[in-house]
Amino acid sequence: MAAATVLYQESENQAENARAEGPELWLTLPELTAVSGWQLKPEGVCKEETCVPVPDSRRAALIRSEASGPRFNLTEFARLIQQPFAYDENNGVWYFGPAGWDWKDRMASRQAPDFELPDLAGRLHTLSELRGRKLFLLFWASW
Amino acid sequence: MREELKDRNFEVITIACDAKGRAAAEPFTTAAHQQHPSLIDEKLAVAELYDTRNVPAAFWIDERGRMVRANDPIYAQRRNRETGEVTLNTDYLDAVRDWVAKGPESKFLMDQERLSARMPALDADDVAAAAHFHLGTYLALHGHTADALVHFKAAHALRPENWTYKRQAWSFGDIERDYGTTFQEAVKDPKSGSFYPPLDLVERG
Repeated sequence: MAAATVLYQESENQAENARAEGPELWLTLPELTAVSGWQLKPEGVCKEETCVPVPDSRRAALIRSEASGPRFNLTEFARLIQQPFAYDENNGVWYFGPAGWDWKDRMASRQAPDFELPDLAGRLHTLSELRGRKLFLLFWASW
Repeated sequence: MREELKDRNFEVITIACDAKGRAAAEPFTTAAHQQHPSLIDEKLAVAELYDTRNVPAAFWIDERGRMVRANDPIYAQRRNRETGEVTLNTDYLDAVRDWVAKGPESKFLMDQERLSARMPALDADDVAAAAHFHLGTYLALHGHTADALVHFKAAHALRPENWTYKRQAWSFGDIERDYGTTFQEAVKDPKSGSFYPPLDLVERG
């Protein structure tokens, strides 16, 4: 077992007790919640108002019991919810992107996606706080 | 232009999508004496949300928070790097003024069809490329340059037309040493498509 660095969308956490089998990231249940926010409950894998039921056919690939306690495969869960991932074996780093329900059909509405970002002074701003004005949004870079 | 229009319920927001964050953006923003919200998107998360495949990319958002123009490859002004001469992009600025004056009656707005063409639906390869790009950026920022390269190249292979992935990746190293190409060659590679989407500033009735 070794520490894995888990980049779960915007968060970055260390899973000290992770077990990696190639890209498969097996986490203890407390570490699963700490790095991803997901919790394993009787009704399924849950976060905030969303619960994803565990299909019987995928159960063995997702959850296993060990002497030290149950473990959950976050990589297999990513496949289940159509979440893209990338992993770096050399440094033990995993990146998990948005779930399928977040990236599919994204232009169905014309609402400009809201966001929250800091300015140069570190103050946070959201798009929604400027609602009511015409906005000219420009992306640029030094590169 | 922002000063000219700010009392007409108009605001400019600039977002520096730069993994090197404030340090990279500051020299430019301080020189420009900006008074509008000037934000930093260090994780390129918002750039991804708006599917900016290159910069600059401009979006117009109306008072109800709806997008009315997407992904214009435009700066309000250009500075000639050799002569230092600054030229204003007057046609584009006039289009913005037209929108501020006429609102939904402006003929420069994009309908749903044009908006969808500028921001097409994502597929599995798009999001996989993004995952590799974000992991590559993390590894590069933490000094694991060789490992980062593996993921940058994976992102480029999946989405050769995404210039953000290329240009940000190149900024971490040396394009010739790491990628065996030059900027000029990369731009001409037919797999990458055009560097910018066309600026479609035609008035629509």
